[in-house]
Amino acid sequence: MPKVTFIDADGTETTVAAKIGDSVMQTAMAHGIDGITAECGGAMACATCHAYVADDWADKVGPAGETEADMLDFAACEVKPTSRLSCQIVVAENLDGLIVYLPEHQV
Amino acid sequence: MPLAPVEDKVTITELVENPYPLYRRLRSEAPVCAVKAVGRVMLTKASDTRAVKDDPDTWSSDDPNTPMKRAFQAHTLMRKDGEEHKAERGAMMPTFSPRNLKTLWGPAYETFAGRYLDRLPRDEVVDLFPTLAGPLAARILAEILGLPEASDDDMQFWSQALIDGAGNFGWQDEPFERVDRAHMAMNALLEKNVDRYRAEPDQTALSVMINADDPIAWSQIVANIKIAIGGGINEPRDALLTVLYGLLTNPDQLDEVKRSGNWGAAFEEAVRWVAPIQVSARRATRDTEIRGIDLPKDTVVMTIQASANHDEDLFEDGHLFNALRAKNPHQSFGSGPHHCMGAHLARMMLGKIMLPMIFDRFPNMELVDPSSVVWRGFGFRGPLNLPVRLN
Ligand code: HEM
Ligand code: FES
Repeated sequence: MPKVTFIDADGTETTVAAKIGDSVMQTAMAHGIDGITAECGGAMACATCHAYVADDWADKVGPAGETEADMLDFAACEVKPTSRLSCQIVVAENLDGLIVYLPEHQV
Repeated sequence: MPLAPVEDKVTITELVENPYPLYRRLRSEAPVCAVKAVGRVMLTKASDTRAVKDDPDTWSSDDPNTPMKRAFQAHTLMRKDGEEHKAERGAMMPTFSPRNLKTLWGPAYETFAGRYLDRLPRDEVVDLFPTLAGPLAARILAEILGLPEASDDDMQFWSQALIDGAGNFGWQDEPFERVDRAHMAMNALLEKNVDRYRAEPDQTALSVMINADDPIAWSQIVANIKIAIGGGINEPRDALLTVLYGLLTNPDQLDEVKRSGNWGAAFEEAVRWVAPIQVSARRATRDTEIRGIDLPKDTVVMTIQASANHDEDLFEDGHLFNALRAKNPHQSFGSGPHHCMGAHLARMMLGKIMLPMIFDRFPNMELVDPSSVVWRGFGFRGPLNLPVRLN
């Protein structure tokens, strides 16, 4: 199973085993990662699953799609070029080792 | 597999007075249960309510046999699915963007909040429902939607008429007649304001929708402004009264929140403790099952977020208000594609602006006789009165 590492705003790192096909948001929820709220459950309606993809992974993960970029405007913390809605990143074999940073707050 | 067990004892009057004892029992004994008094299958566990709302392919928001369509004289975005829903929701979304919240609606709310607080008398008993919570929620919504001429009373009357019409499951005449009168007034004002917003566009919902590059139909613009009127006043009103009640009856928590400044957490706890919208309906688009119970196609379930918010699997002492909870994964703003469009707005108005402001002005505010506060409601729930002494 690919590993995903979440680094929260305090710098605390948590590495978990992710299911292929799950979103990064679902992975976080399944492992009780606090920094992701995901109030709309992945419907791209809430922007409370905001995460920053680590620079080294940004190319592999790719940028936000058009609707996603619109929705990111609703994120509570600063939106950066590496910002994504984690419900829109699907875990695949080639993302093994993925690192995402979590914003200070989601609402 | 078996069909849902039937609960046929509880009455609608009991549910309106206090539905929480039934929910506690259903969570432990029958989390998927047909409740005769409401003619629906209730889902009371947090994982189930959330899973249903997060699976709109299986669970449609379109429940055709309700009085809502009659009451709204239209099929609103709340009852649509898929692309159609997305298009109508997207039409109104720009109004609620973080930039507008920060630069327009936040400052406007702050001004109105200050003005409404200035009007309140000190050192005598005053009920904050009719003097503050109701009118202020109405005022800011009128401004945001693009109906600034509507008075606080107009807005509250329209909102209540829409809610009573949509909840008129007995199909009585009076609520429909009342809401029809409200429609005449709302339609007249909307039509009147169109020319002005065409000439001078701004960020209000009406202006944004009519001036879009590819606008949705006028009938839907009107219908969705009305859904916001029906769904944008009583929740912030009830949430404000609930959070004040919670803090004033728990002075230790209030002291700690004053110290930490974490008013946002107090607001979240209030909407968890007593969800302003307690239930949401969904209809099965195919034969399905939950927890081994068969739910044939077209079964309408009530996902009870009020119960999900007290679920023992997620919350310790869920029946108690505790503004200092470490985690608060409540479902009071719903989930899935219909997640509340006003959630960020409500959080800003109450958590960021109103709570610090009211306790700064009236640091020694007291609740006069907490036992006189009356709580009501099955679909929507909140206090009917909040007598305080301000000082
Ligand atoms: C504390 C305050 C509020 C609470 C607890 C609340 C709760 C909710 C809930 C539970 C839903 C989902 C209904 C469903 O799934 O069927 C919803 C939807 C909605 N809310 Fe709120 N609401 C609040 C404030 C507001 C405000 C201030 C507005 C202002 C415009 C608003 C506008 C809407 C709209 C338009 C929808 C329909 C969204 C859709 O169907 O796509 N709400 N709200
Ligand atoms: S979970 Fe709501 S946008 Fe990702």
